Amino acid sequence: MAQTKVLVLDEHHRVPPQLRGALEHVGAEVHVRSPGEVLTAPARLPEVTVLLASAGLAPHTVRAVARRLDDEGQQPSVVAFAEHDLHLLDQHVLAGSDYLAPPFHPDLVRARLRDCHERAEFSRTMEDVAAHAELLSYERELEIGREIQLGFLPDALPSPKDWEIHVRFRPARTVAGDFYDVFEIVNRRRLALVVADVCDKGVGAALFMALIRSLLRHTAEQSGLQSLIAAELMGEEAGWAEHSRAIPVVGATPLLNAVAGTNNYLTRNHIRQGYFATMFFAVLDPATGNLVYINGGHNPPVLLSASGADPVLLAPTGPAVGVIPDVDFALGYARIDPGDTLFIYTDGVTEARAPGGEFFGEEEMVRQLSEAAVRGEELLDHMDGALSAFVGRAEQSDDITMMAVHWNPPGARTA
Amino acid sequence: MSFDVRLRVDERTAVIDLSGELDAATAPRFHDTIDQAATAGAIELVIHAKQLSYLSSAGLRSLVFARQKMGDEVRIAVVGAPEPVARTIRLAGFDHSIHLVDA
Repeated sequence: MAQTKVLVLDEHHRVPPQLRGALEHVGAEVHVRSPGEVLTAPARLPEVTVLLASAGLAPHTVRAVARRLDDEGQQPSVVAFAEHDLHLLDQHVLAGSDYLAPPFHPDLVRARLRDCHERAEFSRTMEDVAAHAELLSYERELEIGREIQLGFLPDALPSPKDWEIHVRFRPARTVAGDFYDVFEIVNRRRLALVVADVCDKGVGAALFMALIRSLLRHTAEQSGLQSLIAAELMGEEAGWAEHSRAIPVVGATPLLNAVAGTNNYLTRNHIRQGYFATMFFAVLDPATGNLVYINGGHNPPVLLSASGADPVLLAPTGPAVGVIPDVDFALGYARIDPGDTLFIYTDGVTEARAPGGEFFGEEEMVRQLSEAAVRGEELLDHMDGALSAFVGRAEQSDDITMMAVHWNPPGARTA
Repeated sequence: MSFDVRLRVDERTAVIDLSGELDAATAPRFHDTIDQAATAGAIELVIHAKQLSYLSSAGLRSLVFARQKMGDEVRIAVVGAPEPVARTIRLAGFDHSIHLVDA
């Protein structure tokens, strides 16, 4: 047993001579203080394993001293002692303290101090076990959230002739709510492409990810055949109309139904939880490269041209989904030509941080995308590498999702 | 920069000073402050964001909470937000329900 360090607490620094003799005999290090000295001490108190309190002190005074020691990370055993007025020990024992009464023979004192030491060790072990159990349950929660999230991502992506669609998904340790989806709609004539980010983190975000993904996909698949042409779009005026050309487009109906329907469902049923998702939802015609999309408050995807033209950013056409009831989402239009790549991503890319805290940022992302002489999966490899180099040893704090949609030019290798 | 949030209520205007980074780790403190502001019966909420260096999606979610807690009649203004923070708010389309005001 290590040397016992004792703090004797008495209003007048009195230690019964027999007790002091016994403590010295067993080799204990002894400090003597009044409660006032402890409570007002500006500096750190000596390290002690036993608080030996005179029974003449009020239990709440002893408790205050114990709390002060606790503030400094010390949890000594509290033992009340009395030399003559043994009845004073009662209140301390009732308050949970141990006690020491005459005769103060060294062997008896040593035995009591050893008890205290062992009990302190035991309670420390219990605290460790409890802390470990808590950590395990936190880890378990992360595990559950991640399982939900992964369970709602597609197993495989469709691959139309001459198109390459690749996804890179790097979940953060703390579950965030990124998701992506690629599926066929309108009798397999169109391809739905979705990249989305549910706000916030944890199991809640994962659950809303599962809900939003299911609503989007279900609505898009079910509404695909009701009307092949979204005639109701003619003459529509929306708040984000600058991106909207009111042209009837195959696939626009499932797109609008999915996004507006999900927005209305969330705002009607879940507005109190405050979850929302930013999303880029596009419908691609693989035969022509025509793209109709809704960008609901999401980081603008980048359209990289094979012709050497400047990259085009596909800005929001409406707000994040799940916040504003009955809001209008305008449609955006773009065209992917053979050789072009559409890069869709979540804010985990632009908000990736270097060890010093700097953000990767949109500018650097677009620069890396433009300079990379590769397309498709190799482009994702390149971005992965650029991000890893930038982040270094810092911990990845957010999900990172990247999708590259590439149209192979005629004569090029196919996926 | 570490996160800090302070609330004062002048007349019936609640003023919140935000500094540092508002993200998943710090958003709960901002929520508590919003609760206090709502309890104080403010009819206007002014959020000083000049010292706010970062707003994550969890931070955006707090703004949704603020909108709901305070009620539709309460004007909410975010004042002096640095460009990256203002951009995050505009990108999500929240500048329609919350006023972005230059300092």
